[in-house]
Amino acid sequence: MIRLVADQSAQIRRAAEVRFSFDGADIIGHAGENLAAALLRAGCLILRNAPHDDTPRGAFCCMGLCQECVVRIDGQVVEACRSEVAEGLIVERAG
Amino acid sequence: MTYDIAIVGGGIMGCSTALRLAEDGMRPVVLDQGDLAQGASGVNAGTLSLQIKRVKLMPYALKGHHLWAKMGDAVGFVKTGGYTLAFNAREAELLQERQTLKAQAGAPIEFVSNNHLRAAEPALTQSVVAASYCAEDGYANASLTGQYYRGRLKDAGIEYHEQCAVSAISKGGVFELLSPHGTIRAKRLLLAAGAWLKPLAALLDVDLPVTARINTVSVTERIPALINTVIGHATGLLTMKQKANGTVLIGGGWQGRGTPQDGRGEVDTATVRSNLALAQYAVPALGAARVLRSWTGFEANVPDFYPLAGALPGVSDAFVLGCVRGGYTIGPYIGQLMGDLILGRAPEMPLFDPGRDFQEEAI
Amino acid sequence: MRDVFDIAILGAGPAGGNAALASVQQGLRTVLLDEQPSAGGQVWRARSASILAAPETPESRAGAHLRSKLSTSDITYLKDARVWQIAREGDIWQLQVLSGGQSDAVEANALILATGAREFVQPVPGWTTPGVIGLAGATALFKQNLTLPGRRTVVSGTGPLLFYVASEIRRLGGEVAAVVTPNTRADWLRALPALAGKPRLLGRGALWIADLMLARVPIYWGHAVTEVLGHDAVSDVKIARLDAEWAPQKHVATIGADSLCLGNGLIPQIEPAQMLGVPIHYDAALGGWVPDVSPDGVTTIASLYLCGDGTGIRGANAAALQGRLVGLRVAADLGRNTQQARTAAQRAWRRAACFGRSMTVLSVARPGLQAVTSEDTIICRCESITRRQLLEEIDKGAASANAVKSGLRVGMGPCGGKFCQTAIAALIAKSRGRDVSTVAPPTARPPLRPVPLGAAAGSFDYDDLPIPKPAPL
Repeated sequence: MIRLVADQSAQIRRAAEVRFSFDGADIIGHAGENLAAALLRAGCLILRNAPHDDTPRGAFCCMGLCQECVVRIDGQVVEACRSEVAEGLIVERAG
Repeated sequence: MTYDIAIVGGGIMGCSTALRLAEDGMRPVVLDQGDLAQGASGVNAGTLSLQIKRVKLMPYALKGHHLWAKMGDAVGFVKTGGYTLAFNAREAELLQERQTLKAQAGAPIEFVSNNHLRAAEPALTQSVVAASYCAEDGYANASLTGQYYRGRLKDAGIEYHEQCAVSAISKGGVFELLSPHGTIRAKRLLLAAGAWLKPLAALLDVDLPVTARINTVSVTERIPALINTVIGHATGLLTMKQKANGTVLIGGGWQGRGTPQDGRGEVDTATVRSNLALAQYAVPALGAARVLRSWTGFEANVPDFYPLAGALPGVSDAFVLGCVRGGYTIGPYIGQLMGDLILGRAPEMPLFDPGRDFQEEAI
Repeated sequence: MRDVFDIAILGAGPAGGNAALASVQQGLRTVLLDEQPSAGGQVWRARSASILAAPETPESRAGAHLRSKLSTSDITYLKDARVWQIAREGDIWQLQVLSGGQSDAVEANALILATGAREFVQPVPGWTTPGVIGLAGATALFKQNLTLPGRRTVVSGTGPLLFYVASEIRRLGGEVAAVVTPNTRADWLRALPALAGKPRLLGRGALWIADLMLARVPIYWGHAVTEVLGHDAVSDVKIARLDAEWAPQKHVATIGADSLCLGNGLIPQIEPAQMLGVPIHYDAALGGWVPDVSPDGVTTIASLYLCGDGTGIRGANAAALQGRLVGLRVAADLGRNTQQARTAAQRAWRRAACFGRSMTVLSVARPGLQAVTSEDTIICRCESITRRQLLEEIDKGAASANAVKSGLRVGMGPCGGKFCQTAIAALIAKSRGRDVSTVAPPTARPPLRPVPLGAAAGSFDYDDLPIPKPAPL
């Protein structure tokens, strides 16, 4: 099949793998990777449940605005899409 | 058509008076420059605490609490009990003196031991030197005031107009009020516009010595349960409560910027930071909670800090109600008293002559 | 004595970045603040450190170019810096900046807000399901992390961004299940004259569409997503044909997918300007509520300037040119002679703005699209408030954005109304038979971003507390 837009995924080189955890589960990401992106790539789409109706939520705007992707790191609620993964990072659910 | 009374100001004062008048067959019309109850009535921190009421207003506050409890879920009323804290010897002395007088005036206030406080509010700082407690204290959700009164006015068949600022008032045989919704005619007039009373009364050449404080309130995101009651401070500089939904509301009368004529007012960075710092001092675990919003609201006062509640000086058939110290708590009750006065009945408790000499402690 | 800059610029996207360069070139002491780790804003977003190598794109080149100029300049660049409060203190602007968990103040004589845009999504049943991301949000994922939203993605929305996202998914090795757009081929043909002056853009767009067609990716012109199925994740996406006003008609297909990119145009981020008292007005062709501002960034607030998509959606090129223009204007107001440069810059901006506006017109949702929001669709995501609840509240008398907010908590959640306000205003307008231009947004309040209380409070000594006059007893 002719592709006018080539698949360039093979040309992407990522930094070394790092191990971190989310809600107790071990996740593999890449050093310096955006946390929301790393969780997405690892198949962790559900980051929290909404307060009133308990519906599962995850990253939506990916720009630090919607607050749907918030997690807890070191006791502080932060947007996953504005955080970075690092070796040994412990990420907990915020709700 | 000529209404029995035009009420300018659709907050708790104006609406509760309107309801009392309508009960007795009068036909009021309520006019508000914006949405109903978006002034002090809708943007305060919702604190219903007897511990911060003036001694002579305590009987009114007790009646007010009773009415709030009756309004119940519709206004998000919760009775949690409340503590007032002192963090040093000077504050403890102030606390002792004041809360004793307030208890004598009828509020069920007692002083509590450190152990009692620890058990009730484990998240509080250890630095509390003295504390008082009132089981009747609690809070309601000020944001719901507007929608609540819209419903009540509708149910009572009372006409109201929002986005209806009154720009002129003349008195011939009846009052004629100029507004964006046309000329409104009424036999009587009640001014209940809170922080906007001075310019409003000036439309009738009446000078009311009303000034406005610009109180700041902040709210956090939802956090796990941390504070169980309404927390106050011996100097009044801090109020804190955690709502059922987990958000924490922080107030204390820290002053923002602006005047009622300029609009809603602005948060002042330095004062809101001090307010938040004091909150963190009282409950250290609040440090990680994210603040989502800070805002200001105007609280109207006259020089002696007692209500304006009675006949408008120099204008027959006109009345004024506002500047009630503790207006959120007392509002629903004093509106009833005001209604009784306008109906020609003797209100069950004395009102507060707006024509008095404010320099003298006449009350 | 604290350092007071000549100019502070909030936002390091195409507009803010270029405003900073223009300003510093005129010898002005310039501080540029942005909440991201690198400059570039949304459209020229930089790669995260986790990407060691990847093919370049026109956007990545443009971003790298800007970042390189910034790094070799004398601009004080504060990254990962979240401005949560701005106020005039005497003669200067004071910005409270959260960075590394701590808050510090930055001060400047003049302030340029280059706050850009965010996306608008008309709420649709299931839009809160994990795996549904915004169209512009998808570009953030692609640009920063070269990450796909899923394995098989439906891409839905308006304007050129739609085809860009679809092609990026293919370029990054993903599968586009379908492209769904309310725009018709006729809408795009009408936009051709504007595109005729942009042969490279036209070529790119044509290539993307041809590629999709060759790959047999269905393109549903004049359609919209009406429901997202799945609970913990997306399983399918339902689409319907739209009528001329974009109201959904009959259901047409249910497309299996594990992700959905959804967007209906961009909205200017006006909250900081609003908070500082800049009057606003409604201009549908510029994305909705926009601040009152001259082409060279002047507002009615002294020493406060605005530029870029935050003044109206006109696209990245216009933003870059306006940034330069506004930087030059501020320099002029601070005593530099920039008259000639400004005249040229303004001309260039007008051309770019004209084109940008024509693309925005394509992107703006027509009123019929509101019908994709069913009774039970959540409109306020933060508080999970549905259309039904909002209509009930409006029926009971709440007639303004502030009143609805007070009664229902919509807009009081963590996002501050950013993703619900537009749809709610449209709902109020429709219910009350008013034009949407008469339903003003709610009052803008600080903090501009959520800020941890401890950071906002700063260091505190109890003994420094002012002792107030005791309240009257």
